[in-house]
Amino acid sequence: MKTIKQLFAILAVLVVSFTIIQGQPAIAHAATDDSLAAIQKRGKLVMATSPDYPPYEFQTNQKGKSKVVGMDVSIAKQIAKDLHVKLVIKSMTFDSLLVALETGKADMVMAGMNPTPERRQSVDFSDIYYVGGQDFLVNKDEASKYPNQKSLANQKVGAQTGTLQYNLAKKHIPGVTVKGMDKGADLILALKTHKLVAVGMEKPAAEAYVKNDPSLVAISSTYNLDENSSGSAIAFRKGSDSLVTAVNKSLKDIKQDNLIHKVYLKDAGKYMKVNTANTSMGHYWTYFAKGVQYTLIIAAVSGVIGVVLGVLLALMRLSKVKVFKWLSVSYIEFVRGTPLMVQVLFVYFGVGVIVNLPALISGIIAVSLNSGAYIAEIIRGGIDSVSKGQDEAAQSLGLSRSDIMKSVILPQALKNIWPALGNEFISLIKESSIVSIIGVTDLIYQLNIVRADTYRGVMPVFIAMVLYFIMTFGLTRILNHFEGRMQHD
Amino acid sequence: MTKQAVIEINNVAKQYGKTDVLKDINETVRDGQVICLIGPSGAGKSTLLRCLNRLENPTSGEIKFDGQDITVLSEKELGSIRENMGMVFQSFNLFPNMTVLENLKLAPIKVKHWDDSAAEKVAYDLLERVGLTEKAQAYPASLSGGQQQRVAIARALAMNPKVMLFDEPTSALDPEMVGEVLSVMRELADDGMTMVVVTHEMGFAKQVADEVWFMADGYIQERGTAEELFDHPKTERAKDFIGKIINS
Repeated sequence: MKTIKQLFAILAVLVVSFTIIQGQPAIAHAATDDSLAAIQKRGKLVMATSPDYPPYEFQTNQKGKSKVVGMDVSIAKQIAKDLHVKLVIKSMTFDSLLVALETGKADMVMAGMNPTPERRQSVDFSDIYYVGGQDFLVNKDEASKYPNQKSLANQKVGAQTGTLQYNLAKKHIPGVTVKGMDKGADLILALKTHKLVAVGMEKPAAEAYVKNDPSLVAISSTYNLDENSSGSAIAFRKGSDSLVTAVNKSLKDIKQDNLIHKVYLKDAGKYMKVNTANTSMGHYWTYFAKGVQYTLIIAAVSGVIGVVLGVLLALMRLSKVKVFKWLSVSYIEFVRGTPLMVQVLFVYFGVGVIVNLPALISGIIAVSLNSGAYIAEIIRGGIDSVSKGQDEAAQSLGLSRSDIMKSVILPQALKNIWPALGNEFISLIKESSIVSIIGVTDLIYQLNIVRADTYRGVMPVFIAMVLYFIMTFGLTRILNHFEGRMQHD
Repeated sequence: MTKQAVIEINNVAKQYGKTDVLKDINETVRDGQVICLIGPSGAGKSTLLRCLNRLENPTSGEIKFDGQDITVLSEKELGSIRENMGMVFQSFNLFPNMTVLENLKLAPIKVKHWDDSAAEKVAYDLLERVGLTEKAQAYPASLSGGQQQRVAIARALAMNPKVMLFDEPTSALDPEMVGEVLSVMRELADDGMTMVVVTHEMGFAKQVADEVWFMADGYIQERGTAEELFDHPKTERAKDFIGKIINS
């Protein structure tokens, strides 16, 4: 009965907070017809993209610094120039792009995105700036077996999740099994290991793969498509009319001068050549180093905050004050009962509507709040494991509650829970990788960038695996050292 | 001339749920007295002792320490009472995360706010008194049971208490170690410390106790000198109990 009451209370709190958060953008919408003015006032245009889709957008290594380049970026730069503002690029996974737009994290999304009717329901689109056409990649040694779209009937075909290619294949190839994956690099790997017979892709992206991998060939699709659902357009928040109008004007100028074919695609090709000139992993070590750095920062900061929060929650849970106890139990139950991935998305996009937090901070907050709940339970177990006699002996000496906790109970609890706490820290290093979905450049995120840039599927994964192991193994050594120092018997 | 009352127990009762553990206890402990509390297990001896420094809360009645009713004090106010009442437990309860010296220094530094060197001096004096100076830097886990209990006594004494409470201090010890602990307690009694001891050590009671309280079924059934109680028990319960421990 009590638990049911508690459940209702938690749900009620959620509904209320969600309503508050939802209420916020509605206000913003009503006032968005100043979308253009607002951007010009701020002096910067924020573009969200998923830079693992050459030649549209990808990362390149320039004088040791990685930056996002590609056809879309060149167009965006021209637009920013026309609006007299600075361009700011935010990277995240393709799935997160439209959410970023709706929650005000970005002013526009450019990611070779097709303005499908479904997407039009939630966002506004510019005019179409590029029509690439649709291709399939197949293995060269099977090219005679699969010479055209028709031959793919009843076969396994891959495409990026949430993309037009995915839906097209599903709808138009009879008897096909469409396998969706997040990353282009994963799809290619699946193709080359014959788990798929073909991968659907935009023509320029497919051509880029063929250029860089002699074992692949591209075949044209025979989808009968109107420009509206196959071309690429820029997405905006609904109601950004003034901004869309201004951007369309820029696009018109770009088209008139044929800048895309004459300049932008050629530039992108040059960058891609730089990327693939040397695909040895040593050449990309700065990418991995940055990833390791961010992974360690996130794990370390979240670990410290998690312990502080964990102690606080554990003491609240053991407190005689009912409200504290209830709050702590509710928090722990709720956080443990929802996936970390959802929490990361909620902090970045949900809470982000009220306070605009950068991705790294959002990631650290979400991971800290999450690990605090787990650490709280570990610490509570530790406090319970210290015998009652210790507490009584300390009380009989006249020590205050806080001194008893600080000098007697917690040090002994810490020793008892050290192995469990060590487990939590190690999983923190590994599980913090989930922040890559909001574009934090941790090791997993960097790994995917390297895979996209070098067209190499397995080697970067192996490197990341070794790096993770070195980090966790190092941490284990450090933890063991401290455990040894706490042994007094 | 009767000495001044240090602890007065008036109409104290204690219930756990529906079970009466203590029923209307009325006793006085005077300055310098050594009281031994004996009785069958489940009689309520430990509960009564633990009520004296409020490790247990009596359900009703009052307990006065130096004339002040401690049953009405808050958790915070209790600190000043407890620092004047040392307690020694059956299971020693030394802090395993600290050395012997740190065990002794903790309360004087945290509660009395002594500086480290003053606390250390007192600690060494006490360790000498219980004969364990050479174990100052050892951790409790490396000590024998008898040594641990002597350290526990020294730790309680470090606060310079007015009264010492002992809750079956020798029951968890191997037989060959009982002697060393009792001799420390005997010296303490000889120095005039007021003590309340829950024990089954008849020899010790005969040697040092000013009064022996025989407790059964939540009552103090009988009270007297050790000789009176052990040699000429009046109540049937006491006769039965003393017969059993003599023959065991």
